[in-house]
Amino acid sequence: MNFDPRTKLVIVFCLSSLAVFILDIQYLFFILIVSVIVSNFFKDNWSVLNRIKKFIILLIGITVIQSIFSPSGDILISIGDFSLLTTGGLIKGIRVILRMLIIIISATIMKNSTPREIIQGLIQWKVPYELAFMVSLAIRFIPILAQEAKDAYTAIQLRGIEISELTLKKRFKLYSYMFMPVLSGVIHKAKELSTSLEARAFRAYPERTSFMKLKLIRRDYLVISVSMIFTLTIFSLYLI
Amino acid sequence: MKEDYYNKPFIKVNNISFSYNDSKYILNNVNASFKKGEFTAIVGPNGSGKTTFGKLLCGILSPNKGDILIENNDLSNISLGKLGQKVGYLFQEPERQLFNPTVFKEIGFAHSFMENSEDKIEKEVEKLINDFSLDGLKDSSPYKISRGERQRVALASIFINKPSFLILDEPTTGLDLVRKEKLVELLKDLLKKGIGMIVISHDNLFIESIADRVLEISGGDIYEL
Repeated sequence: MNFDPRTKLVIVFCLSSLAVFILDIQYLFFILIVSVIVSNFFKDNWSVLNRIKKFIILLIGITVIQSIFSPSGDILISIGDFSLLTTGGLIKGIRVILRMLIIIISATIMKNSTPREIIQGLIQWKVPYELAFMVSLAIRFIPILAQEAKDAYTAIQLRGIEISELTLKKRFKLYSYMFMPVLSGVIHKAKELSTSLEARAFRAYPERTSFMKLKLIRRDYLVISVSMIFTLTIFSLYLI
Repeated sequence: MKEDYYNKPFIKVNNISFSYNDSKYILNNVNASFKKGEFTAIVGPNGSGKTTFGKLLCGILSPNKGDILIENNDLSNISLGKLGQKVGYLFQEPERQLFNPTVFKEIGFAHSFMENSEDKIEKEVEKLINDFSLDGLKDSSPYKISRGERQRVALASIFINKPSFLILDEPTTGLDLVRKEKLVELLKDLLKKGIGMIVISHDNLFIESIADRVLEISGGDIYEL
């Protein structure tokens, strides 16, 4: 079942706003479960959970770093006088993880809308075309950038450098070199894009005509209303 | 003994099939072998899978079925780093394999991460700068030189590892006639030294002037022409 991209944008906006404003872990956990269910409803599979598995080490790392730099409460793990994990730090770490998961998972709701649909949705919301176009460009370039970073990593190894045999310091130094081709690629693409935009008379006329017209139907209004009511209810319950 | 060394295939491709995202096979049950000291050109129409084949041979992609042997060792058991020390791969867009602010640093880049002394690296880089006619560009940025020069910098950077085999993807793109002739001379010298080569190209004149064998990839299969 495909919904209007604006409906999906409202859902993403509601879930991400809740993730940002709410501090209570129980609430955040509940919102996470809702995000997973909604994301699964829109994408018809559980692939989002498989993707999150890859981030587990990163998330654990964030918890530990949060705990080290903002210790409070009882000490759970310490090395000598140095407290590695505290109850306050642990709560803050879990809060960061839950927030990140909600934002990442809710964003996947947009995945089955094409950049063209998203751009049209924003335009029909009276967002200036230039801004909507920039959003769609950002969405379009994310996988390209990821691929370029992957290619740079492969190319570095094909230069005969055995990364697994390098010390941690050398490894970090090596990774810093990867920025050069990726950055150069980005600048090159941006230049080409701006030239082709000019060549195709971008912004030549104040009004643009579009063949695509999106129309919100009853089920879109229903989902938007439910999302708004859900968000307001959670906020009210949290603030009371 | 020497004859046997050159007759044994350096790369052997056994019944490999490959598809992107489980779609239709781009390459289907392909068999081929490549020797050292031999120049093999790979031709075929756009989208036939030439670059994919090159990427499979140097481990960037893995086949869905079949196996690739490099000196009788299964490629899937060789890391990209170890493979890069034996097989040099020139990307279709050389800027993808350039990482340093100057040509000099670029050529010595791989060895600066190995346990080589600075003096030794400097000597090797100077020799390669001379061999690849890059004098005068030592301190230039690899991103601010012409495409042909960039191509030569990328080749010189590969050569510092003294590879036994080269896979070059469209090496003549953007080169003028003089540069192409120089590239042919350079590759002929390398062939004499026993280095094997697979060159993916659309440039018929270039292929005719140097190739020992021409293979065509078409419809998922590979044919000797």
